[in-house]
Amino acid sequence: MRRLPRQVQIALTIAVTGAAAALLLFVACDRDRKSAAGETTLTFWQFWRTEWIRPLLDRFESEHPGIRVELQQLTWQSGLEKIEAAVAAGLQPDLCELGSTWMPRFAASQVLADLTDAAEPMVKDYRQWEPARHGGRIYGLPWVVGTRALFYNRALFRQAGLDPDHPPLTWDELVTAATRIDALGPEIHGFGLNAGERYVLFKKFMPFAWGNGGEILTPDHKRSAFDSKANVEALAFYKRLAESALAEKQDVIDQAFMDGRIGMMISGAWNLRTIAEQAPSLDFDVALVPRPATDRGTHASFAGAEFLVSFARSAHTREAIELARFLMRSDNAVALCRAARSVQPAARGAEEDPYYRENPRDRLFVTQLETAVAPPPHPRWVEIEEILDTAVEETLYGRRAPAAAVQAASASIDALLGGGGGGGRAGSGGGR
Amino acid sequence: MRGRSALLFLSPFLASFAVFSLFPLAASLALSCFDWSPLTADRAVFVGLDHYARALREPRFWGALKNTFVFVAGTIPVTTTLALGLALLVRRPLPTPLRTLFRSGFFVPSVVSMVVISLIWKNLYAPFGGLNRFLALVGLPAQRWLLDPDLALAAIMAMDVWASVGYYMILYLAGLATIPDELYEAAALDGAGFWGRLRHVTWPGLKPMTLFILVVNTMRSFQIFVEVFVMTGGGPLRATETVVLYLYDAAFHHFQMGYASAVAYLLFAILAVFSLLELRWLRSEQRVLL
Repeated sequence: MRRLPRQVQIALTIAVTGAAAALLLFVACDRDRKSAAGETTLTFWQFWRTEWIRPLLDRFESEHPGIRVELQQLTWQSGLEKIEAAVAAGLQPDLCELGSTWMPRFAASQVLADLTDAAEPMVKDYRQWEPARHGGRIYGLPWVVGTRALFYNRALFRQAGLDPDHPPLTWDELVTAATRIDALGPEIHGFGLNAGERYVLFKKFMPFAWGNGGEILTPDHKRSAFDSKANVEALAFYKRLAESALAEKQDVIDQAFMDGRIGMMISGAWNLRTIAEQAPSLDFDVALVPRPATDRGTHASFAGAEFLVSFARSAHTREAIELARFLMRSDNAVALCRAARSVQPAARGAEEDPYYRENPRDRLFVTQLETAVAPPPHPRWVEIEEILDTAVEETLYGRRAPAAAVQAASASIDALLGGGGGGGRAGSGGGR
Repeated sequence: MRGRSALLFLSPFLASFAVFSLFPLAASLALSCFDWSPLTADRAVFVGLDHYARALREPRFWGALKNTFVFVAGTIPVTTTLALGLALLVRRPLPTPLRTLFRSGFFVPSVVSMVVISLIWKNLYAPFGGLNRFLALVGLPAQRWLLDPDLALAAIMAMDVWASVGYYMILYLAGLATIPDELYEAAALDGAGFWGRLRHVTWPGLKPMTLFILVVNTMRSFQIFVEVFVMTGGGPLRATETVVLYLYDAAFHHFQMGYASAVAYLLFAILAVFSLLELRWLRSEQRVLL
């Protein structure tokens, strides 16, 4: 290759450096750009695909001339890091979506805008306020909620001589169905059970514990209530279920269910979308998570929610609340939920929307929400969650008996809450 | 004048290095003595060396350290030996197209993102994935690979060897090119066979390169993160949790930035000791050679 003359090299270098500097300058200035027309630019950070959310924002903008919404899509892998970094740097958005398990820590750390005045009149029309409450104030507005239900393969039910119109209602029926389907062949598994993965295990186990009357913390959140007969029973049952299950990561289980290799699994509504897209011929249905027995317990499941929050240092909290109200409205929330098919509106009565009347499987998730339980809103929930995951994992891998695992987990939670040694000390988590 | 213009041309790098590497390094050293979380950034509490003491009391830290040592001690000898073997193989007189194919073939993983490699191998290790299908083909029972606490770390180590061996092979090829042909000629005249030449000419001639590879690979391996993060997230039963993954967890899941910084500096101290030992060894060897 012929080398360029020296002058050209120098000129090129200067040009490239200059261009880079100009770009940097432009980006820097862009932050402070104010439109001349007195238009307010509202920054909104959220986790949904742009094509699902943008149409709603376009409608909002046309209804509210003078407000322009700048959208940022976050990912579940790195979104929380980004939000935390932005808060620390003072570059927080005006409106932000937060997962329910993050809410308590944010609410306790005093970085969120107090939305109590705006929220109070809305309380009765929406569900799942608990994670947003702290010290008698409300710091977040519930937008959409999500839960897990029992998916079952009707074709495998028939093959195993089970009635596909009567999905298992109780623990015993669940184990019986799983065992019989599991016996169909080495490539077929009765149940899909989560293993080897974080942030998921407790969501699949706790429904059985909650359904059996088990708890994680005492009502005042000061001590562990995990060491109970109800929880030991549930864990022992879960271990029994594991014997006829494929223990794998969530994505593997979801895929195996679509491939018709798994009889049943407890999973989220997102499968309704992916199955429709990738395995439209799969003969399946959804049912409530089974309860301990017909005469006791509940059809509990895990309840999660997405909240809309604003920050104490946001410049446009008033407009942010306006947008939040618009997005939460039943019709708009249904529009998002129809597109995403992984969550349901937090607005009460949304199940009366024609969409849910026409789609019984989606509607079942709304029904499941009635008996679903949200984890206790504690600022150090993430660490409590890890302790529960460990207890489930140790039991499934046969490292501890259910009773011992429950006991050890309970002791770890107490150590964490009491600020004693072991797991970790109070402090940086913005603890109580 | 030359010095000044050199500095001018270096300044973009130096500036970004100072802002994005040097400053955070110093800041995190200071941070390791504070209780600090981004949400409560204005309420940092000075805790002195408490975080260091806590890490040393924490069984999870020691578990992560053990896994990291297993990873380092298990991969480096294998990678180094394989890299040397491959370098000797692809150096043999082969038709040029074949030689190019082999050389670039082994090197390709080094230029592919580790995330991509990890995802590919995660699929290979999946229950219905390629590896289990192969085992079924030869009549062996399927393994749970990444979900088996006794196998998961080994499975990741195997992948890491595969992914990194090409880079060290290229380094060894460069090293081999520096050994004068006369030495081989003389050895052959003295009646040395393949092993004799390897033992008395190639190996001593490659010693500086071997040590360089060891130092570089030690620093890289102690910081293993991406592979574990993508493939297992540290599980099952924390069997694959490494020190960097542990400190990532402390920083970005528990948001205990001060504690995470302390763990990072503990790892830095361990790395510094190993690197110093290796460098001292390298220096004494070089004196013998030159």
